[in-house]
Amino acid sequence: MSREDLKQMAQRIQDDKKKYAYTIFACNASGCIPSGSEAVFEALKNCVKDRKLEDQVRVVSCGCMGICAQGPIVRVDPDQSIYQKVTVENAHRIIDEHIIGKTPVKDMLLFSHEKEPLINSFEETFFKKQKRVVLRNCGRIDPQSIDDYIAEGGYQALEKVLKRMGPEEVIAEVKHSRLRGRGGAGYPTGLKWEVVYKYVSDKKFVVCNADEGDPGAFMDRSVIEGDPHRVLEGMIIAAYAVGAQKGYVYIRGEYATAIKPLETAIKQAKKNGFLGETIMGTTFKFDIEIRIGAGAFVCGEQTALIASIEGRRGTPRPRPPYPAEKGLWGYPTLINNVETFANISAIIVHGGEWFCETGTTKSTGTKVFSLAGKVKNTGLIEVPMGISLREIVYDIGGGILDDREFKAAQTGGPSGGCISKEYLDRPVDYESLVELGSIMGSGGLIVMDDTSDMVDVARFFMEFCMDESCGKCVPCRVGTKQMFDLLNKIYIGRGTMADLKVLEELAIFVKEASLCGLGMSAPNPLLSSLRFFKEDFLQHIQRNEKVVKPLI
Amino acid sequence: MTKKDNQKDEAMQQLMKDPRFKLLTAVIKKNQNQSDTLIQILHQAQNLFGYLPMPVIKYIAEALSLPPSQVYGVVTFYNFFSLKQKGEHTCLVCTGTACYVKGAEKILAAIHEKYGIKPDETTQDNKFGLQIARCLGACGLAPVAVVDNEVVSKVRVEDFMPILEKKIGGKP
Amino acid sequence: MKPPFPIEIDGKVIQVTEGQTVLEVCQANGIDIPVMCHFEGLPDVGACRLCLVELKGVPKLLPACTLRVAPNQVINTQTEKIKKYRKMIVEALFCERDHVCAICVANGNCELQDLAKKVGVDHMRFPDILQPLELDASHPYFVIDHNRCIMCTRCVRVCAEVEGAHNFDIKNRSYKVRIISDFNQPWGESKTCTSCGKCVAVCPVGALWSKSSYQGKIEKKKEAICDLIRKRKVNV
Repeated sequence: MSREDLKQMAQRIQDDKKKYAYTIFACNASGCIPSGSEAVFEALKNCVKDRKLEDQVRVVSCGCMGICAQGPIVRVDPDQSIYQKVTVENAHRIIDEHIIGKTPVKDMLLFSHEKEPLINSFEETFFKKQKRVVLRNCGRIDPQSIDDYIAEGGYQALEKVLKRMGPEEVIAEVKHSRLRGRGGAGYPTGLKWEVVYKYVSDKKFVVCNADEGDPGAFMDRSVIEGDPHRVLEGMIIAAYAVGAQKGYVYIRGEYATAIKPLETAIKQAKKNGFLGETIMGTTFKFDIEIRIGAGAFVCGEQTALIASIEGRRGTPRPRPPYPAEKGLWGYPTLINNVETFANISAIIVHGGEWFCETGTTKSTGTKVFSLAGKVKNTGLIEVPMGISLREIVYDIGGGILDDREFKAAQTGGPSGGCISKEYLDRPVDYESLVELGSIMGSGGLIVMDDTSDMVDVARFFMEFCMDESCGKCVPCRVGTKQMFDLLNKIYIGRGTMADLKVLEELAIFVKEASLCGLGMSAPNPLLSSLRFFKEDFLQHIQRNEKVVKPLI
Repeated sequence: MTKKDNQKDEAMQQLMKDPRFKLLTAVIKKNQNQSDTLIQILHQAQNLFGYLPMPVIKYIAEALSLPPSQVYGVVTFYNFFSLKQKGEHTCLVCTGTACYVKGAEKILAAIHEKYGIKPDETTQDNKFGLQIARCLGACGLAPVAVVDNEVVSKVRVEDFMPILEKKIGGKP
Repeated sequence: MKPPFPIEIDGKVIQVTEGQTVLEVCQANGIDIPVMCHFEGLPDVGACRLCLVELKGVPKLLPACTLRVAPNQVINTQTEKIKKYRKMIVEALFCERDHVCAICVANGNCELQDLAKKVGVDHMRFPDILQPLELDASHPYFVIDHNRCIMCTRCVRVCAEVEGAHNFDIKNRSYKVRIISDFNQPWGESKTCTSCGKCVAVCPVGALWSKSSYQGKIEKKKEAICDLIRKRKVNV
């Protein structure tokens, strides 16, 4: 397949779609399914059938549009009208009034709490400060259709790479973009690729880490649900660049709704010659298999993930040697996160220079966050790096629920920390967050209001880390349990100042002496709470009696 | 052969008569008896049987030529695998950060008060089992619970308990 | 034979060859590094964290048992920070399970006891996380007492790698990890155990002992196992 073929194909699919006067996108991602989106999708389809509009209206089940709290969400294109909280009962009004009657259904439109209902609302408010690179197609295409992806310019990056670039050029372009790993630690992606590329080996592997274990994070799931081919294309390009023949997607077992579209996408990619032997008519071959995780947070750690793919207990091992040198079955292995791979095709098509235009000098591009907790607009957002926390919480998130006081924002899940309101105007990028004792993490962002007790939050995360510790190394295995016991003691009002001191000493010990990232970062939520919200701890210690329910 | 061994073999015989056993053998065959597919096979086995009965684990260990202790170690390492039969009805409460902040523990407390069970426990008549999940990835709708595969979102205790009672059918 | 190159450990320049671990180099040069999960000849896992050292230019501490030598390394093995953490690790092990020397078979012949003396642990500063565990005496010759186990996994590795039986493995995770035999059965019912006794020989504490030993009297033939592994490697 040549560039012209691919472009023609895209053109043809686009022309095909033009015969429809309207396209109705019904969100069917995991954020909307619990609100009954599947039934809404069926209702819309049946209604179109009833009114004999099949030739003019296309109804598509699509990925996350971001406004999960208002789901099920339905968008009508080309008008870009977004309807919220659509039900089986009122779905027909969209067809009858909007499509047949040509008047948008005002009382169902999104953000009806604004003065004026927003008819063309897609570019307003919630979306105004966002920039969509990774989520570009999310909610705008049918994730189950490779044609839709190709029509949006999909696989053109792969074609460019295979036909007109050598592996070194690909790596140079990625390095030029200064893209950093979106899984949390922020290691430069280009450098990682280069290291794997340089090792000489008859076998190499590419692994996509979709073991999104942070409680409160659902970005990777949404990307896979809404645009699986983008991830696959990134992986195939990576495989070409480092010289791998086989790839794995390690995905959480909990993500049943994401596994299915991914399986479909792999099948479609194989059928269309983007995967398998002789990819796009070249000699390059690459195959992808799905490996389903079984519920272990620690498997997000690279060496534990490798152990798990090999079918063993997911315990990490000391690094070096790094997976880039000795990974799966001892062969060089490239491991990147879903969002990292999803950035690749855009970098190849538009160039690394274009990518650097967004974000800050050290943290380029955009970042997807799952905004949750006590904000008005919870959902999936993608923002340029360097945006302030205030903009995320107040402009995009619409402020705190019930107009209460902002207390803290938690980033990075159990490995991250809480950021207090004094730092709301700090830019959100890798360095600033580390400076504040938190981390970027995979992108979970949970907002807490003044009713949140930070001792309880610290205890919650410590319990999580204690439970999820693999039990291999002594500091993490023993230390997390000791810290949890102490936090619990303080929480129920039996703690003393001496306990607080011991707690701090243990926290630093576990942070520095543990084997893997889980142990090293387990004390972060505690340490950051101690730094910004020490009063909460002191209150618990001073108040010697507090009636508490037992923790789960 | 001791009496105990005999009993165990009976359990194995029983398994081989089970219609699901054929499907399990097919799954193992499809994975070419490769030891690295252990976790994938365990997933499928749990889908078939609802949990992982001991004879099933033994059969898988044998088929993949893996040491028994290693297989048992893998099964107990991952949260997803269960050695115990789950209740007739199940309720899964998400205790991810967003759900926790929005009051998931209130729901657990209410269930405990009503049915006397804690997470990972089943009522004595085996009718109702309670589980917790780390995060279901539906944080925008927190707090979230799943009752018999049906997702209930933005759960408030007072609304949730009637839903649960309706599903389970009255008092335990 | 690859040519030797120099590295710096605790200010001393030492000639090393590629493939050696930092621990091997230290042991050969009289630099004292405490170990627990390490056992000569068994694959290293870097789990106990006692042998942590500082490598210049690397922000995190690394275990000497798995760290391979490389040119231009500058390593410190005895800084105040490392000494403090070593002591805390020993304290953590004592907090984890029930270690009462006075009634232990390994009293006077115990690596944990020796370590406690060496790093100066004489009382418990941290809260204990004790949980009463069972003792399995179902095996005709040997006993495993989980209350004294420190999860160094030497027995798991010697059984799988040297004896080749793989009777032992680990169940669960977090602080709930335990050594198991076959399908979490009583040891005596294990079908894979060959009763070779290698596990008993390598156990650093009094968690595994033979029924013929009694309080304070235990015989552990650690050298015999080391010898066996070494000779086998030479013959391969």
